[in-house]
Amino acid sequence: MYKKGNKKGEILTENIIFIILNLIFLSAVVLFLLRQGSSASVLEQTYAKEIAMIADSAKPIMIIKIDMEKGKKITEKNKLDFGEVVNVEGNVVSVKLDEGRGYEYAFFNDVDIEVYAERDDKNEYTGMYILTIN
Amino acid sequence: MFNLLKKDQRGTDKILSMYWFAILVIIAGGVFAMVYNFYGAPYDIRESESSLLANRIADCVSQNGKINPDFFSEGNFNSEIEKNILEECTLNFNVEKGYQNVPQYFFEIEFYKPEDLSAGVFSISEGNLNWKTDCLIKKENNKEYERTVKCTERRLYALDSGNNQYLIKILSGVGKSEKNVKN
Repeated sequence: MYKKGNKKGEILTENIIFIILNLIFLSAVVLFLLRQGSSASVLEQTYAKEIAMIADSAKPIMIIKIDMEKGKKITEKNKLDFGEVVNVEGNVVSVKLDEGRGYEYAFFNDVDIEVYAERDDKNEYTGMYILTIN
Repeated sequence: MFNLLKKDQRGTDKILSMYWFAILVIIAGGVFAMVYNFYGAPYDIRESESSLLANRIADCVSQNGKINPDFFSEGNFNSEIEKNILEECTLNFNVEKGYQNVPQYFFEIEFYKPEDLSAGVFSISEGNLNWKTDCLIKKENNKEYERTVKCTERRLYALDSGNNQYLIKILSGVGKSEKNVKN
């Protein structure tokens, strides 16, 4: 395509610019796709519904661990306490990863659920949440 | 970029790069629209929820093939159980604030004798029974169908304390379309 043009010295710069712009475009698309899948609003809904369904299928004296590493990264970015991300009031789960309203979802299983973020030996959050069903 | 475009106007080969970028913009627009549409729609978990509800009711009605004795009183079905069926099966149909006007769940339990499946001998129901007819709607790939209640039917056989066999039909449904279907 550029055989004829390549004879001129200036065409190399144009080609490089063309390739760089293509790369920028592709990275922007990939970045956009990745960010959409792990945005706070999508994750809030995912976690709330996941926890509600776990609660629906759980039976008393179960202890369930949930991996919320992605949520932890978002709360760190938003300078929020990861320990306050998930709340269960009555039979409604609420998840809040940013300054917004968060997301609520109800479950029908009439059980008491205690929920807290797991900490390691250094008293730092591990990214896991623990549900205790009573 | 501006220089590049200006030079592209000189030769037909280079004009192609302008179209190339135009195509990229169109692709980007398409990707953006599809992703926005996909992530903008809530996850619909109602089918799983109604299945879980039916399983929970089945566990409540029958354990190890025997009907829960609380469903009987003096050898007959206990009609009083319907009043406290939610407590009996440890269910709570309260929902989030703003969605409490209409009950978002329902279920119906019907007991049949195997020798006569045309008429049930006992039934219990709870929740929004207006949605029961929606369970019969044939699956379609349109918005109206998506908004209808999602139902699950379970059938099981169990024995009473006198070893009489019963067919138990459980129908459960979950509404919650506001939280599971894109408006």
